[in-house]
Amino acid sequence: MTTVRRQATRRTPERIPGQGDMWVLVFFESLVFTSYFGVYLYYRGRHEAAFLEAQSHLDLGLGVLDTIVLLTSSWSIARCVQNARRDRHRAALRDACLTAALGVGFLGLKITEWTAQISAGRTFTSGDFFQHYFFLTIIHAVHLLIGFVVLGVLAHQLADPRRRSQKIVETCATYWHTVDFLWVLIFALLYVVR
Amino acid sequence: MKTALGIRLLLVWVSLSAITAAYLLIDRTAEHHGAPTASTVVSVSAIGLALFKVWMILREFMEVRRAPALLRGLAGLLVGLMAAVLLGLYFAGKAVG
Repeated sequence: MTTVRRQATRRTPERIPGQGDMWVLVFFESLVFTSYFGVYLYYRGRHEAAFLEAQSHLDLGLGVLDTIVLLTSSWSIARCVQNARRDRHRAALRDACLTAALGVGFLGLKITEWTAQISAGRTFTSGDFFQHYFFLTIIHAVHLLIGFVVLGVLAHQLADPRRRSQKIVETCATYWHTVDFLWVLIFALLYVVR
Repeated sequence: MKTALGIRLLLVWVSLSAITAAYLLIDRTAEHHGAPTASTVVSVSAIGLALFKVWMILREFMEVRRAPALLRGLAGLLVGLMAAVLLGLYFAGKAVG
């Protein structure tokens, strides 16, 4: 039984998930964000006390909740890919809708946080930390909004039997996961790094 | 989805969420009478854990573990480069500041 399983695993062909072009975008985006993260950390190190004071106004618990919501959406879209691969398109469509709902939940939490900060007088011009905070969270939110368009394409593909393409499903999922892992880094740098 | 892969995805999600929740505990170690204090240990741990999570997402959710060697290598290189840039510039900023 174990041998059969091993042979089956060995036979699984190695292939790029989704379209290669999307992976080029993933690497490009990651490098652009990494460059910005590097600049942020450098300035943070130079002005540690000021960054620490400003950072204390962020709610770490809310950041943790944001991150878990987005991680859950990533899990959901990974399940969508698996269900689509098994021709369980109804379940895949349900997973895609759940992913979008979690994305909306994440955006709602972000808007709540921005509103609270702005109401307290902390805006884009309230020092270096909040300049980085608003820039990074807003640019990430723009990527999330693009993600909703991508999820729309995915749902359209899954709903129409004539349009279904596993390659497109995987490509859309790859984009959504990228939005997720970029947030994982943004969260650690803005909320946790001391 | 009660397949082996479905269970694997669930375990990955639980691990990623648990690591995220652990940040709450890590953060408490960098407080003095309720006020946050600078801590290299907390900062390096936060960056290290975030990079581990990125690697997990790439490998498990984005299926890099089953991709050709080139993509696996590029993904590993990306995470390595991220680690070098983030930690390098964090320490450079501290040294200059």
